[in-house]
Amino acid sequence: MQALRTAATGMAAQQLNVEVISNNIANMNTVGFKKQRAEFEDLLYQNVEQVGAQSSSQGTIVPTGIQIGAGVKSGSVYRITTQGTLTNTGNQFDVAINGQGYLQVLLPTGDTAYTRAGNLSINDQGQICTADGYLVQPTIAVPQNATSVTISQSGQVQVTTPGSTTPTVVGQMQLATFINEGGLEAIGDNLFEESAASGAATTGSPGAAGFGQLMQGYTEASNVDPVSEITNLIIAQRAYEMNSKVVTTADQMLSTAVNTKS
Amino acid sequence: MDNAIYVGLSRQITLQRALDIAANNLANTDTTGYKFEELMTGADPVMPAHSKVGSTPVTFVTANGVARDYTQGPLTQTGEPLDVAIDGKGFFQVSTADGTRYTRDGRFMLDPTGKLVTQDGDAVQGGGGDINLDPKKGPVSISATGVISQGGAVVGQMSVVNFDDLSVLSKDGNNLFEDTSNSTPQPATGALIKQGMLEGSNVQPITQITRLIEINRAYAAASDMITSTSDLSKSAVERLGSATS
Repeated sequence: MQALRTAATGMAAQQLNVEVISNNIANMNTVGFKKQRAEFEDLLYQNVEQVGAQSSSQGTIVPTGIQIGAGVKSGSVYRITTQGTLTNTGNQFDVAINGQGYLQVLLPTGDTAYTRAGNLSINDQGQICTADGYLVQPTIAVPQNATSVTISQSGQVQVTTPGSTTPTVVGQMQLATFINEGGLEAIGDNLFEESAASGAATTGSPGAAGFGQLMQGYTEASNVDPVSEITNLIIAQRAYEMNSKVVTTADQMLSTAVNTKS
Repeated sequence: MDNAIYVGLSRQITLQRALDIAANNLANTDTTGYKFEELMTGADPVMPAHSKVGSTPVTFVTANGVARDYTQGPLTQTGEPLDVAIDGKGFFQVSTADGTRYTRDGRFMLDPTGKLVTQDGDAVQGGGGDINLDPKKGPVSISATGVISQGGAVVGQMSVVNFDDLSVLSKDGNNLFEDTSNSTPQPATGALIKQGMLEGSNVQPITQITRLIEINRAYAAASDMITSTSDLSKSAVERLGSATS
């Protein structure tokens, strides 16, 4: 019975849906997290009777044909890259990106990763790094005796040192953008890596055309909307139940067939 | 009379097929742009179930087609600038490896070269072929008539086409429809493009669940009929057999 297998594909799809939704809810408070959505596509169709086929020797034509679908499959799980709300933290090393772009991070493997989590800090050598200690590229070192650090909207990092009235520029932060942001590969720890689908990174200064601005003292909250996630969860659960109803019905029909007395 | 078992069987075969179709509808309750289907059954016009045509003709049941309901599915907001939904009749044109296909799934994105593609990577066709966008030119805005603009400048045109007769379309999987005739689609009139939205599946779960119950009961009824027909011939054989002995 095809219906049993079809219902199984439906249940598998809804299971994936619940997994994606639960990951969104789990990351509701993750800085810079972008919610994901599972997208489904119908599976191949079996042509039981071809559209326009002859149904009899008299030349009767089948008007619509009979196509029986084999169920559903997951097309893609894509990331919705809308802006998250900016939250004021007061931490002078926190930067939120208002607009497009990713901060570049040097991984211990030597690869470059990209992130929107701007909860930065400095390491023991005064270099600006992420919460995991990965260096932000290009490397910017803050002198040990700096009394205050200012990061401008265009990414210029200025420090004030004792005995000096004018701030000194110690570096310029850079952002990277991609043609297809949704194609970035998430590697965990709020980091993304470039992939064949995302295209190559284009770097530029914050505030330039096509790049977002940096907001010092803010972090970008996740763009997960709890209400819509819970709603989606309910929809997914009901859809799962309905597919299980198909399994029950197919099972009852098979049992009817088996118990037919003749 | 002797064919009643086979008439019952023909009913059961069509019911199994109807269940397959209802199962596919329910599996696709969450599929973007999915259009639900239903099996159409009727009396077999060719093969009578009874050799003698009496006052009440006896016929087999046969599946004579699948009806597809093209009514609009609900529009849901996603907020993604490249998600588009069609409000009204019509289809987006997609160029695949197997030729031109049609879809109502407007979950589009850019490939690494900046071409507008579906989630399977097939190029979306606009007024002048492929649509190419450069994200650096600023946010993409798509008007209700399909004009794509970036930073105030028009950069492309989305096209929505429709067919005079929708029965020429056959489903191809991956949310795509195939044109099985040689007809040329016409630009759709009255179809509005909604940016940042997707069209949900038009499957109504409650109808499909009711359909499941209906199929289940009808199957059992056909099975009962087969049983009672069988009982009837059994008792006939017993009685006639005892009369001659």
